Amino acid sequence: MKIVVCIKQVPATNDAKIDPETKRIIREGLKAIMNPFDTYALEEGVRLREKLGGEVIALTMGPPKAEAVLREALAAGADRGILLSDRAFGGSDTWATSYALAKAIEKIGDVDLVICGKQAIDGDTAQVGPGISAHLNWMQAASVMAVEQVDESCITVKRMHEEGHDICKMQLPAVLTVVKDINTPRIPSLKGRLAAQKAQIPVWKPEDIGADPDKLGLNGSPTRVVKTQPPDPRQTDTIRIEGTAQECARALVRELRLRSLV
Amino acid sequence: MLHHIQNKIYHVEILPPKQESEKLEKDLELFAQKYTRVMESGYCACITDNAMGNLSFQGTEMIQELELPVIPEQVMIHLNTFHTKENLDEILNDCVNLGIKYLLIISGDGSERLPKLKPSDIGVTGSESVTSVELLQYIRREYAGKFVLGVAFNPYEPPEHEFEKMERKIAAGATFIVTQPLIEKNAVVDRLLEKYPDIPVIVEAWMSKKLYLLSEAVGYTIPEDQDYDPIATLKMLHQTYPQCGVYLALLGFKRQYDLIKDIWV
Amino acid sequence: MLTLTDIERKEYSNIWVVAEVSSGAVQPVTHELIGAARELADARKSEVWTVAMGSDISSDAKSLFAYGADKVIVVDDARLDGIQDEVEAKALVRLINKYKPEVVLCAATVKGRALIPRVAVMANCGLTADCTGLSIDPENGDLLQTRPAFGGNILATIRCSNHRPQMATVRPRVMKAPEPDRGRQGEIISECILDTDADKVKKIIEIFHSSEATLNLSDARIIIAGGRGMKGPEGFELLKKFASRVGGAVGASRAAVDAGWIPYTHQIGQTGQTVQTTLYIACGISGQIQHLVGMQSCDVIVAIDKVPDTPMMQMADIAIVGDLFEIVPEILNELPKL
Ligand SMILES: Cc1cc2nc3c(=O)[nH]c(=O)nc-3n(C[C@H](O)[C@H](O)[C@H](O)COP(=O)(O)OP(=O)(O)OC[C@H]3O[C@@H](n4cnc5c(N)ncnc54)[C@H](O)[C@@H]3O)c2cc1C
Ligand SMILES: Cc1cc2nc3c(=O)[nH]c(=O)nc-3n(C[C@H](O)[C@H](O)[C@H](O)COP(=O)(O)OP(=O)(O)OC[C@H]3O[C@@H](n4cnc5c(N)ncnc54)[C@H](O)[C@@H]3O)c2cc1C
Repeated sequence: MKIVVCIKQVPATNDAKIDPETKRIIREGLKAIMNPFDTYALEEGVRLREKLGGEVIALTMGPPKAEAVLREALAAGADRGILLSDRAFGGSDTWATSYALAKAIEKIGDVDLVICGKQAIDGDTAQVGPGISAHLNWMQAASVMAVEQVDESCITVKRMHEEGHDICKMQLPAVLTVVKDINTPRIPSLKGRLAAQKAQIPVWKPEDIGADPDKLGLNGSPTRVVKTQPPDPRQTDTIRIEGTAQECARALVRELRLRSLV
Repeated sequence: MLHHIQNKIYHVEILPPKQESEKLEKDLELFAQKYTRVMESGYCACITDNAMGNLSFQGTEMIQELELPVIPEQVMIHLNTFHTKENLDEILNDCVNLGIKYLLIISGDGSERLPKLKPSDIGVTGSESVTSVELLQYIRREYAGKFVLGVAFNPYEPPEHEFEKMERKIAAGATFIVTQPLIEKNAVVDRLLEKYPDIPVIVEAWMSKKLYLLSEAVGYTIPEDQDYDPIATLKMLHQTYPQCGVYLALLGFKRQYDLIKDIWV
Repeated sequence: MLTLTDIERKEYSNIWVVAEVSSGAVQPVTHELIGAARELADARKSEVWTVAMGSDISSDAKSLFAYGADKVIVVDDARLDGIQDEVEAKALVRLINKYKPEVVLCAATVKGRALIPRVAVMANCGLTADCTGLSIDPENGDLLQTRPAFGGNILATIRCSNHRPQMATVRPRVMKAPEPDRGRQGEIISECILDTDADKVKKIIEIFHSSEATLNLSDARIIIAGGRGMKGPEGFELLKKFASRVGGAVGASRAAVDAGWIPYTHQIGQTGQTVQTTLYIACGISGQIQHLVGMQSCDVIVAIDKVPDTPMMQMADIAIVGDLFEIVPEILNELPKL
């Protein structure tokens, strides 16, 4: 089975800054890590390969230093990594990101399964996985919490949703996005980490994946971030409720109803 | 453990490199240097386990990869509850094979990235989660007679809870205690010493000048003096707690290391 | 990429809402979206249309007029069993191309977040996720979409000037549902699926419904969290009851986790999870900094503690002083019965 795992490098902290001029994230100075959801996607890919044989390819689009997440993926069990990196990819929204990743997946060829994290912790949209699937015109299953069965032509997965979960069977090739319940990602060993440091990681440019330049990066992105601001500060005045237990409970429920929270 | 105290053997903390390290080779080299130095001084090297929830390499794999010598009396491995069952057994078996016998069993700090032992992993019933107590019970049961097990004591937590928990840790097989760092005489530790006169207690000395880091490590704000003098504090600890061993946290290997050799005499 | 001229842009009108259909019924979040769409449509002097796709939903679809829909497109087909993102996406794209809406809103539910990115890619248009604010530029019809990103640390405003329709998702309970006007009438348009993936298999094997509070912390809208003040695992049973009554998840401080009262997966804070819910109720948690960093960006924080001035009580929007073992059961009494 040939599996591609899409991995995004994201800033580690929760207080990332955005450049007021370019409206882009200032990534300098922030620790960059593998998107937490993608560690689960990778682990699932590696487990499937361990069970079924085949190959796990870690794919990322990002600046040259995004190579680090591919090395981390190699240390954690991926067979090889591919970095999509070029100025032309810069400023991509989810449309253009999923287009570029889909073109790379086509270029890799004969891929049976693409696994993405449910969402990235910076952009937070959860749109790239289904987007890739749309560009490829493949089947998709989002918020997957277990892979139940895989055979030549089909995959059966358990999906999580608001009212519980369901099990569905669909045709391969397909795209999955996974939630954290799916597995417990392994921690790379020192040996694995040292070996990964020596691996060759190819860098693919737009021409390598046969991409239409008009569909890449800022050009190819229908959305524009036109303004960013910090959220409204917390209100500081606390409403205090005292009295008998029943009075307190009534007052609270009234407050919560007023704010339509319950 | 008692003879560590009698023979004035310091416990020197060493942190393995973090997984995310961008200069891994250099970190490995530094680790090897520190470890070797501690061995040569006759002290005991204490290797942390993902301290503060920071994803790091394991002490056992460091020793194996760097082919460091293990002198059984001079190595202590911290082991917390943030492991998969497989990984836990791998570490314990590595310890047995390497001849490491001192383990400091702690609940430890987690992070999003660290797995956590589940009660069912280690045959625990009647608790929702695995703490140092359950881990102790597991090791004592599955690795009977292989290790000398110690536990941590946090005098900054509400004492009733901490003493109640210590009772359970001792019942589960702990035979020595390491406290959180002390920067002055501590009434809760005094009470601990009174309560367990027969159990060796090792007090931790905070060897960094940065006291705010200590507050972060213990979870309670430690009032900061203008000038914190780690060496003076270490001397004070020896005087105040002559019956205790001493664990050196964040010891500076460049400048401080040479100063400590004449302090515990 | 294909962009629109001014003339082409003018061909697009009306505000659409994609109804959230699950278990064969239109879900309440649809009413909230219609409320938001109504305001946008009034500003543009255009109409609100709702698209309801599912199996056996025609009768439910009529109820949407009461909330402000002018027209409802119904795609009622037994094959739409809730997992056919591919088929629904194709149907929706065809309708979009046929009727040319200016804006399409969809619920940011598990289902909506899977379906609508697919539609946006196929329809060549931009999609803004999890909007908390929507307004329209009267000059050119551009939708100004505000959304939090970076775990709530930044509010971004997003435009898609050169593409129509402009698509956005909104989380449940972010917008307020309007009071229904039962007398309000509208027009039903029946459409059908032309294009299926008949050559491909995708079928439901099993469906499980759970009413238990098994929600993930990261997906929860409400978290009821407990600390050392919960005294033991029984205390957490009380909180589980509380959480399932409000459709929330249970969180915990490290003190409670270390005591073995609740698994680590529930721990919130520096060495646990970071959460950002619309409501966070802290019961018997004093609020040490290591805990606060994990939940400080929740929208509304409620604290219950017998000590009036703990850090948590000071940070809270609503602070209740008293014994939680008396207060929480009373809250359960006061909450609407399910
Ligand atoms: C403040 C802000 C707001 C934004 N809002 C929007 C918006 O509303 N709509 C929009 O279209 N764009 C938006 N963007 C742009 C968006 O963040 C980028 O397009 C980004 O490349 C992908 O989106 P995401 O981070 O949301 O990823 P998600 O869709 O949340 O990621 C899901 C999964 O896709 C895979 N994946 C995502 N990116 C990559 C990658 N580069 N390489 C490999 N795999 C990847 C991973 O498996 C990941 O787990 C916004 C950006 C910022 C800074
Ligand atoms: C490195 C490190 C990482 C840490 N990471 C985390 C973390 O991720 N998450 C975390 O939570 N903590 C973390 N901590 C621990 C943190 O410092 C605190 O010790 C912990 O949060 C305290 O938990 P608590 O508020 O439940 O307990 P306490 O501080 O003991 O508070 C209990 C509260 O319950 C109240 N109470 C008691 N009985 C009742 C009653 N009947 N009715 C009403 N109120 C009552 C009390 O008045 C008190 O305010 C970390 C600490 C360290 C050192």
